[in-house]
Amino acid sequence: MPVHTRPSTYDLLRAHGVDRRSFLKFCTATAAALGLEPALVPQVVAAMENKPRLPVIWLHGLECTCCSESFIRSSHLIVADIVLNMISLDYDDTLMAAAGHQAEENRKRIMKEYPGNYILAVEGNAPTKDGGVYCTVAGETFLNILQETAAGAKAVIAWGSCASNGCVQAARPNPTGARPVHELISHKAIINVPVCPPIAEVMTGVITYLLTFDKLPQLDRFGRPSMFYGQRIHDKCYRRSFFDAGQFVEQRIHDKCYRRSFFDAGQFVEQWDDDGARKGWCLYKMGCRGPMTYNSCSTFKWNEGVSFPIGSGHPCIGCSEENFWDNGPFYQRLSSVPVPGIESTPDRVGKVLATITAVGAGAHLVSYAARKASGKNSGGGDAAAVQDSKE
Amino acid sequence: MATSLRTLRFDPGEIRYGRRYVWEFPIRLSHWLTVAAVIMLFWTGLYISWPQLAPSGEPWQHFVMGYVRMIHFISGYVLLISFLIRSYWFWVGNNYARSGFPFVWKASWWADLKAQALKYLKLHRGNVHLGHNAMGGLAYTIFVIGLGWFMILTGLALYSESNPGGFWSTLVGWLIPLFGGSMQLRMWHHTVAWSFVVFAVIHIYVVMFDSGHYNNGLISSIVSGFKFWEEGDLDNDRWVS
Repeated sequence: MPVHTRPSTYDLLRAHGVDRRSFLKFCTATAAALGLEPALVPQVVAAMENKPRLPVIWLHGLECTCCSESFIRSSHLIVADIVLNMISLDYDDTLMAAAGHQAEENRKRIMKEYPGNYILAVEGNAPTKDGGVYCTVAGETFLNILQETAAGAKAVIAWGSCASNGCVQAARPNPTGARPVHELISHKAIINVPVCPPIAEVMTGVITYLLTFDKLPQLDRFGRPSMFYGQRIHDKCYRRSFFDAGQFVEQRIHDKCYRRSFFDAGQFVEQWDDDGARKGWCLYKMGCRGPMTYNSCSTFKWNEGVSFPIGSGHPCIGCSEENFWDNGPFYQRLSSVPVPGIESTPDRVGKVLATITAVGAGAHLVSYAARKASGKNSGGGDAAAVQDSKE
Repeated sequence: MATSLRTLRFDPGEIRYGRRYVWEFPIRLSHWLTVAAVIMLFWTGLYISWPQLAPSGEPWQHFVMGYVRMIHFISGYVLLISFLIRSYWFWVGNNYARSGFPFVWKASWWADLKAQALKYLKLHRGNVHLGHNAMGGLAYTIFVIGLGWFMILTGLALYSESNPGGFWSTLVGWLIPLFGGSMQLRMWHHTVAWSFVVFAVIHIYVVMFDSGHYNNGLISSIVSGFKFWEEGDLDNDRWVS
């Protein structure tokens, strides 16, 4: 079936009983979340109305499926609907109707029918050790499936921390050799959407952007969509609030944390059930990773906008950041010094070194004083001694 | 020194002692700016990593962490400026301004390093240089220039986190992925900060010992810029010129 005869997102939403008002509300909200100017909302609407849905192959590798779980629990009523309808999810291990050989045929068919036109969404990553045998789908290693499917994809979206940076299964010592998608696929546009799990609104935003503008959003150093960061400098007006809502990698959790005022004031929780914890003080000293973590969770929250870790009194563990599992312990402010033999905090290492140095200097002083007392000089060519003898 | 000169008997025309302007003003300025900045940076850094003060009351009444971070950032800029002054003076200053640099491509540098190392191994004081000797300069290069720039650059990278895509982020933000993320960079920034304590202990002890034991006015030279020399000392600095 050629692309242009496929129904558009709007067609499908109408078929599912979504009225036009709700549809426009969704388009506006998503445009705002993306940091788009209000003037660009019609463009989003037009894209949704006219463009055929993007064919998407959604692969599941080594992962826990929490990305999909998060996906279907978005706060905006039709977001989940939109995502599942907006894209033509032709292959998804957990959501498709087809099974067995039929399912695999489906994947092959899309690859053949839309070469260079389908989106590959990857949830989870691929183990590489022992030929990739630690994750197989339909008798094929996931590593092979991933590389084969990626070859003809228009773009690859790495959903979640597993696909973007490895997450749990790539944590030291990484027994299965699990590696994130961008290390396994080359010469392909890859969008990383790390977070464990990614927030539904963020996922919708990325797909809406791809559909509307037919190109990749601007990415930061870690390949995460940075969503028009240049606008922030100029946008000092009311749009700033829209922008803040959408800049899911541009601002740290810390910078928009509702507990930030306690941080600046110097008021910190010292123990889990102390007075500060009851008063909702900053969780910095409990190991909160907010200051190093770029994510939208403090704005969008999870599970239909219910909460996010800090909101529930738990420090952020930095799940959208690379190697967050190896940056432990989670409840320690700074990670340990990873030099073999000294698994210790930076302060302990520093104090030991400083003490050794001070003891060394002290020992030299003592030996000098002892030598002076016994009337010997500390080596030849002594200026003071020469001077004394001449006087 | 003047007193001892008067008591010395030497032939007219034969100058055996003297005073020379070694550390020019920008060098001394940079030294003391660095001292001030590092002291401020270290204690504010300790506070930022593990805040000890716990003011009670409402958060709007306090701004402790906010001020401490502000001091840390301002001191960081001071350190950066101090290093830039010093780097600039490396090119335009006198020969002593260049004496601390490891000229590994020069045979004379290796000769001085060897001579100094052999004397130290024999627990000898070594040759007196008015500038830095090759070995001392190497230690300064690693401890102060190397680790100093490490602290400045990693610090700026962490500072840039509040404004991704901004000036510092573009310039040094690449350090964050290089170190495997912000947590790792923070950990190294903090650990390496302690090397300044180690350096300060050695540095202060050595200059006090040298100045006290040999009565050579070493400490005052970083205030006045003048150093005293004895016959033969100036020859030891020839390698740098």
